[in-house]
This record gives sequence, structure tokens and C-alpha cells, in this order.
Amino acid sequence: MEPLADTPWDVTIAGTGLAQSLLALALSRSGKKVLHVDQNSYYGGSEAAFSLQEAQEWASKVNEEPEHFPFEDARVYLPEGAPQLPTRSYTVTLSPHLIYSRSQLLPTLVASRVYRQLEFQAVGSWWIHKPQPGSVGDDGTSSSPVLYRVPSSREDVFADDIISVKSKRTLMRFLRHISKPQQNDDSEPEEENLAIPLSEYLTSKFQVPAELHNPLLSLSLSQASPEQTSAGYSVPRIKRHLASIGVFGPGFGSLLAKWGGGSELSQVGCRALAVGGGVYMLNAGVNSITRLDKSEDGGNERVQLHLSNDETIKTEFVVGSNWDLPGQEYPACDKVARSITVVSSSLESLFPVTAEGGPIPAGAVVVFPGSTLGQPNDMPPVYLLVHSSETGECPPGQSVIYGSVSASGAQGQSLIENSVHRLLQLDADPNVKVLWSLRYTQLGLSSSGVAPSKLEPTSSNILCFPPPSLDLAFDDAMIDQVRDAWQLIVGDEAHKHEFMSFEDREGANDED
Amino acid sequence: MSESTSTNTPKPSSSVKLVLLGEAAVGKSSLVLRFVNNDFQENKEPTIGAAFLTQKCSLPTRTIKFEIWDTAGQERFASLAPMYYRNAQAALVVYDVTKPSSLTKAKHWVAELQRQASPGIVIALVGNKLDLTNDGSEASGEPQVDGDREPPATADEDDATGEHQEDHDATPGDARKVSTREAHSYAEEEGLLFFETSAKTGVNVVDVFTAIANAIPESSLKNGRGAGAGTGQTTLGGGRPAEDSRVNLGDRSTATAKEGCAC
Repeated sequence: MEPLADTPWDVTIAGTGLAQSLLALALSRSGKKVLHVDQNSYYGGSEAAFSLQEAQEWASKVNEEPEHFPFEDARVYLPEGAPQLPTRSYTVTLSPHLIYSRSQLLPTLVASRVYRQLEFQAVGSWWIHKPQPGSVGDDGTSSSPVLYRVPSSREDVFADDIISVKSKRTLMRFLRHISKPQQNDDSEPEEENLAIPLSEYLTSKFQVPAELHNPLLSLSLSQASPEQTSAGYSVPRIKRHLASIGVFGPGFGSLLAKWGGGSELSQVGCRALAVGGGVYMLNAGVNSITRLDKSEDGGNERVQLHLSNDETIKTEFVVGSNWDLPGQEYPACDKVARSITVVSSSLESLFPVTAEGGPIPAGAVVVFPGSTLGQPNDMPPVYLLVHSSETGECPPGQSVIYGSVSASGAQGQSLIENSVHRLLQLDADPNVKVLWSLRYTQLGLSSSGVAPSKLEPTSSNILCFPPPSLDLAFDDAMIDQVRDAWQLIVGDEAHKHEFMSFEDREGANDED
Repeated sequence: MSESTSTNTPKPSSSVKLVLLGEAAVGKSSLVLRFVNNDFQENKEPTIGAAFLTQKCSLPTRTIKFEIWDTAGQERFASLAPMYYRNAQAALVVYDVTKPSSLTKAKHWVAELQRQASPGIVIALVGNKLDLTNDGSEASGEPQVDGDREPPATADEDDATGEHQEDHDATPGDARKVSTREAHSYAEEEGLLFFETSAKTGVNVVDVFTAIANAIPESSLKNGRGAGAGTGQTTLGGGRPAEDSRVNLGDRSTATAKEGCAC
């Protein structure tokens, strides 16, 4: 077998995060010689999934080698007296993202034929924490808090028995307005001012009462308060939410990938490249990149990579993230607090079947607006993505809560902890307990920026993916970044192949 | 494998992720080829990286669809296997009955699976190339394709065969170097299913997969991969079983027709 050093690699991909793994998938039939390495001993990079033991090891490593991870301050918390858990019965994920039914990711997985190796499940209800309905006080501070199911379709609005008839009318007007088919993308602006905050937009244009602002905002997954979120950001996202419902079945509009979300998607991409002849090496990071003179070995410009396992290789392209490629400038990132909490209840009431004939949801979204956590109104909301044991992430009778808030450090963590605590108080089981939790800060690009982040080649053959998106839903910008990288790599041959469009491989026949 | 469902209520169907591991050239891909296509290639090229194949196995009460991940035995950096056995419900660890070192390697894989894979994984130890031994040449070359049969003698029943084989160890023409007894007692200790097969003649090949299908706990099937998936009609007709949480992306076709007006 040819030694690594003697192989003229066309492409070296550094890191097995989701973007790199989708690129691996894209290149799996390209005929290119691809070496795919990862400095870690596991697949998935920033989207990895772990057993509890692995999560503990990951947390230590994040704190020891911060330069290698877009994460900080990772720590496992074991409640006092918590039982010893069977660590491999858990798969907790760093990427519990929702995938909207209309995300470009799904047709990409179908066209590239890998979707059959994945299992998707529905994210059903959006719940919002609010004061007891019917209470007189506007703040409702004295009444006990409840979870209220956010109506996410017109049918839901009709069926809702909490919203007043008058409010329903305003809400229907808003929903009708945003689900109106657009005649033409260019001639559209009917002098709508979308720069104003969502709350102002809803009030001035539709007279939607203030109590519905937070619920509507939650459908956009905005990580800022209604006052701090522009209509231009949130309205298209609310639209996306509504337009996604029913695409793959009744009553739900977004999905999650079973067995660990983004991690599962990454591994499917890597497997596809392995089947296509790509060579895989874990525990091998890129230590240094040296540009070679063109004349040195003729042909295309190449770079020499020194790997952490002491191999030295030559490659035409090297692709990775800022945390996988040395010598890259670290981009300015936002920081959010996140946590993963395993609890001793199935939290069954969060997962009702949302429409007749619909699947049992495996995921739910619970939102705690800043104001309900005793914070000022303009504080960011806390999002809890709750996964049932159907996701394969925990044993039956338990569930995993993924918390996120756009506030970093101790303040963010205490907001999430507070939210989890309140959620558990509402559970039917009075003895429900936190069994395990992991808290960390994640670095990335907040999704509130108007222009999606793009692949910026730092040179003609060193390609660096932008930092991960902090969006709670899969950000389609990643598909464009992968396509850009693929196009640069396959170059003139790009027209001969369609991006991510493959035939079934022999033997992998359809389920008939 | 025959689809024997003629009744109105089709048997529940479940997918099982199975990974093949073992030293290079022990016949992993040939076993799969025999199982999936009932075929054998004399000088098969080594597998590059990995391959993915599917095959159904019909049991009396349900249909199991195997999603088979065949890994390259000569994979250099031991970096692929973790990706393949992750979430796998079954593993087939293969050695060559004419090559003792391959059993050592197989034991190494078993240990790794027991340490790293899902706790409930069903592991089958398979000694391949039985056709190169004296027992193999006596055995009928007629491959068994009836998935409904009882699984044949596994570890518990064939002590007698073990004795019998030891007698033959030194026989000229018999290339066997790993006795049935040795592999068998190891399999028993570790709680593995155990078979000796020939991908070339087909002996015991289907039986391995049938035994694995039978050994997958019902609970892991229900929790694992949804019943009713795979027919496609369940999601379209609205008759989806209530306990199913699986979403079928194939239904996108019905969605794309609507696209453009809804957003």
C-alpha cells in the first residue's frame, strides 16, 4: 500500500464537523483522492455526540486546549446523590438542531442517497412559559406559571381556547398576511418597514396584542427579545415555520435526526466518502501548513501538511475550520450559554401527537421569555429543546433537555438552570430529578446577522469554513459554504457533476 | 429472501444496523455477497474503505431489514470502525478457520465492541472458509435460503462436532488451523453467537443472519427503528401506526408539488 506521504492527495479535509463531513459526502464520487483527518478521537467535531463518559472527557479537553474548540468553560455537574448512570446508554449531542422541513439539507440528503441511513423524527409542539391565563395582573407574578402550547397553524388558532376572539382575529390577519403567496421577489416591497422591532411591527400593523408577541417570536427561534428582534429577521422565519408544517406529515414542520442530531449526519457523510475510497485518520490534526513552490513538483500548486501523528503529506487543497487549521486568524465570535441535562422523567406531556395521523413527536421546544424568569423584558429568552427517549439519546423513562440562551457565562447558565427547574416543577412526576448535566459556552456566529456567512478562501487552496452558526435550527448557509468549497475543488469538472446528486450504489437497493 | 406476506396485515418490519469486522481477506465481503446476492466471486478485490448493502430477512413474526456495513479489513488507521459500529444493533466478527492470527484479530474486535459499542449489541463470531477444511468439503454446497428455519446448531449443541474436527486437524488436504472447539468455547465465554461458514459454498451463511435477526431483542426493535417504515404507504395513507415516530423523507415528493405556493 502506498505510504501516505507518497500519495499526491487532491484534498485533505481537516475536522469531521458537519460542514467538513457534508463536503466529504459531496466529494465521495468525485474521483478525487481525499484524506480526511480529525485531531479528535471521535467524529463530528463541534457537532459530535457522546456517551456520558465521553462527554466528561470532552469537557476536560475543551478546558485544557481551548485553541482547538469553539467551546469554553465546559463542566459536568452531578447532582448530589445522583445514581451512577450506564454511560453508554446515552448519546448526548452538541448539535440538537431542528431541521425545518423546507431546509435545503433534506433534499440534499435525498439526492445524495444517504437519507436511508438516517432516521428522522418530528419536533411537535412549541411551548411557552407564561403566567396563568385568566389572571388579572399583567405580570401575573402572583399566579402559578404554566406552559402554553403556541398555536403554529391556522387550525391551531381556531382550536385554541385561551386566546380571545378579538386577538384571534388579529392573529389570523397576521398569519394570512405572511402566508400570502409572493407574486414576485423583486417587486415585493409593499413599503413594509421591516427594520422595526417585531413587537412594534405586530402592534402597528396588525394590532396583535402584546401577550402574543413572545409566542410568535418563539416560532422564529429568535434568541433575542421581541423588542430586540427586527421584523426583517423574525417575520421570514415565522413564515418558514408555518410553511414547513405538513410537508412530511400532518402536524409538524421540523425534524431531528435520531441518535444524536448533527453527529449522525456527519458520520453519514464520512461513511459515504469512506465507501468512495477516502482515507480516514482520527487522532491526526494538522500541525502546520507549508506552501510549496509550484516548480517544486510541477503541476498544481500544493501545500505540505505536517500532521500531529508525525506524518507529512502533500495536498492540493486543504479544507477545515478555524479550529482545525493552524495559522488562521480566529474570527470574532458570539458566545452563548448552553447545557445538556438528563432528567428522570419522560416529560410525556410535552410530546402530544399534534394532528390526526401524525407521528409521535420525539422533540419539543419550550421557551421561557426573559420576563417570565424575573428578568427585564428585553432580556433574551431561554430555549429548551427537549428530546424524548425515542431519539435514542437516553433510556426510556428519561429525557434530555438542551438549553440555550444568548447570554454567556454564569448569568446564562443560571437562566437555563432556572428554566429547567421550572419545567420540572410542572411535570406530573413530583420526584423528577436532574440526573446529569453538562454546561458550556459555545462560540459561533449568531444568526441575527442579515447576510449569511460565506466561505472565504484564505488562499486559492486553503479553504476555511466560517465558525458554526449558533442558530437553533440548521442554517442552510452551510450548504452554500459546502457547495462553494466543492466547486473550488472540482473546478472545471463541476459542470460534469451535479452537486450532491448521486445514483444508488450497487447493493443499497430501495426498500420496496 | 421471499416476501411471504399475502395477508392483509403485513408483518411488522424493522431495520437492523449490522457491521462486519475482521482481518483482511477473511471473507467479510464474500459473506455479504452470498447473503445478499447468493453469489460468490473467486478472486474478489479487497474492499476499499467500506460498502453499504441491504437485505431483508423474513422471520415468522416479522421482517428484519439488515443495513449492512462492510468495512475494509485492511483499513490502516483503525479510524473507520468506530463510525460503523456506533449505534449498530448487530456485529458480525469474522475470522478465517485456516488462519489462527485472524481469530486473534477477531478477539480484539470483540473486546473493542464490548468496550465501545451500544450495550445491547448482538455479536456473532463467524469462522469462514469452511470449504477449505474436511468438514467443509463434506458439507452440501446447497445454500440455505429459507429464513424461516430454526437457527442451526450454535455453540450449545455441537460439542460432538468439535471432537470430530480435532481428529481431522492433521489430515492432509485439510487446511483447518483453528479448531471448532477453541473458537466455540471462546464464543461461549463471551456470550457470542457462533458459526462456521463457507461463503464459497453458502454453508450456514443465511443461518448466521437469521440467528442474528432472532437474537435482536424485541425492545430494541421497537425503540430502534420504527415499525411500518419502509412500505412508504403508511405515511401517505394516514394509517401510520400510532407508536411510530419515524418520519419518511421519501414523502418529500408529495411536498415538492406544493412548493412555491406555500412559501
